[in-house]
Amino acid sequence: MGKVFLVAPDAPIEAVEHLKSNRQIQGRGIRLGVLDNSKANADYLLNLIVEGVKKEFQVDSVVIKRKPTSSRPATDEVLDDLAKEADLVVSAMAD
Amino acid sequence: MSSLSTLLKAPGALIECDDDPEAVLEYMCERGWSDGLPVIPPTPERVERMLTFCDRDFDKPVIKVPPRFGAATPIRVAANAVMAGCKPEYFPLVLLALEAMAEEQYNLYGTQATTHPCTPMLIFNGPVAKEVGLNSGHNVMGNYFRANAAIGRAVRLSLVNIGAAIPGTGDMATAGTPAKFSFCVAENEENSPWDPLHVELGFPRESSTVTVVAAESPHNVNDHESITPEGILTMVAGTMPNTGSNNAYYEGQPVMAFGPEHAQTIASAGMTKSQVKQWLFDNATIALSKFSKEGIERRFRRKLAQQFANAPLDTLVHMWAKPEDLIIIVTGGAGKHSQWIPTFGNTRAATRVLKREDGELVRSINDLKRG
Repeated sequence: MGKVFLVAPDAPIEAVEHLKSNRQIQGRGIRLGVLDNSKANADYLLNLIVEGVKKEFQVDSVVIKRKPTSSRPATDEVLDDLAKEADLVVSAMAD
Repeated sequence: MSSLSTLLKAPGALIECDDDPEAVLEYMCERGWSDGLPVIPPTPERVERMLTFCDRDFDKPVIKVPPRFGAATPIRVAANAVMAGCKPEYFPLVLLALEAMAEEQYNLYGTQATTHPCTPMLIFNGPVAKEVGLNSGHNVMGNYFRANAAIGRAVRLSLVNIGAAIPGTGDMATAGTPAKFSFCVAENEENSPWDPLHVELGFPRESSTVTVVAAESPHNVNDHESITPEGILTMVAGTMPNTGSNNAYYEGQPVMAFGPEHAQTIASAGMTKSQVKQWLFDNATIALSKFSKEGIERRFRRKLAQQFANAPLDTLVHMWAKPEDLIIIVTGGAGKHSQWIPTFGNTRAATRVLKREDGELVRSINDLKRG
């Protein structure tokens, strides 16, 4: 069977290596961030996750931010705060 | 501007496949580049023809499509338009619709990724819609008409293939909607008693526009009996209230698409669009008590506390936030039916006018022809 060339209809994922941070958390506990999407059960689920993380790891602080609505992205202010105050962020949803 | 042949030398721009329609479909489906239906193979020659009416740089993104934020360049959109069965003269309308969805109020990220069954409803107004053959008459929301089917499908394929709205990962719709194959209409301006949507929104009558709405499937309003404005509107207002509608909670803009016969009866006594919107807002209501106890407590009392914290159970809940938020169009053929179209809710409609790259209004699709 012969071959045909086709124009790819998809788009590549943009390189995001440059966005990765290299945070050192050796010698201290984790500063844990939580982004609650405001769905009805999100806070219950996220609290369970926080408690689970605390059992397994040393957690120095927990900062919780909440989106006003689940269907819009978090504001730059919220993301900046989380970047400043947390080593890692748990973002989860729950319907 | 780089030539298409030069741009297609970029890594990943071309793929090789067995030269057989079934093999192409198999390949596309395996890669996830599909809506499940057969496609026209997007060969470079067909993509080049599709770009006949494109006056943009072929590799300059018109939008980045979430959730992957893939760059929707004219080349990639044209490949999807070929797959969808578009004629080249449809292509500017596909691009225009994608551009409209890029406007922040539309909330493309949310509408792509949500569990809710929404999809872009494309409403075209103005002379170009008619010129390219968009149907505004019988079966306007159904099958058969190539321009409606292919333009809506090209937009959907672009959202899936460029934006990675893949069910279960990027598109989390619980059930979705058949309208995700294509939902594209033109307003029946000739048979409307009111100004068409684009004129109501302040665009020149001779301009051509698209309005994108993150819509659910349409729901029919059958009324063969009423012969007065109040009669028809009573039936419409009785169809709209729905405890499961997102529009009861958010500031969305649902669409009331009147069939021309219903519209003529409503307008016969001089009712304006704005009066119709107010009438329906006042009458399309549902008592708070009709919602579940949990819904009242967790949604209305908490999330909408400002309005409902202490509201009695006989409080009437409106089906959208403000009277003027209702979008009214007239579309379809003869018959006593109209269509009610709720939306995602956390979204606003966006309207874009068709212009050349130099800013001039497009009065004919040929204004965009290259060379």
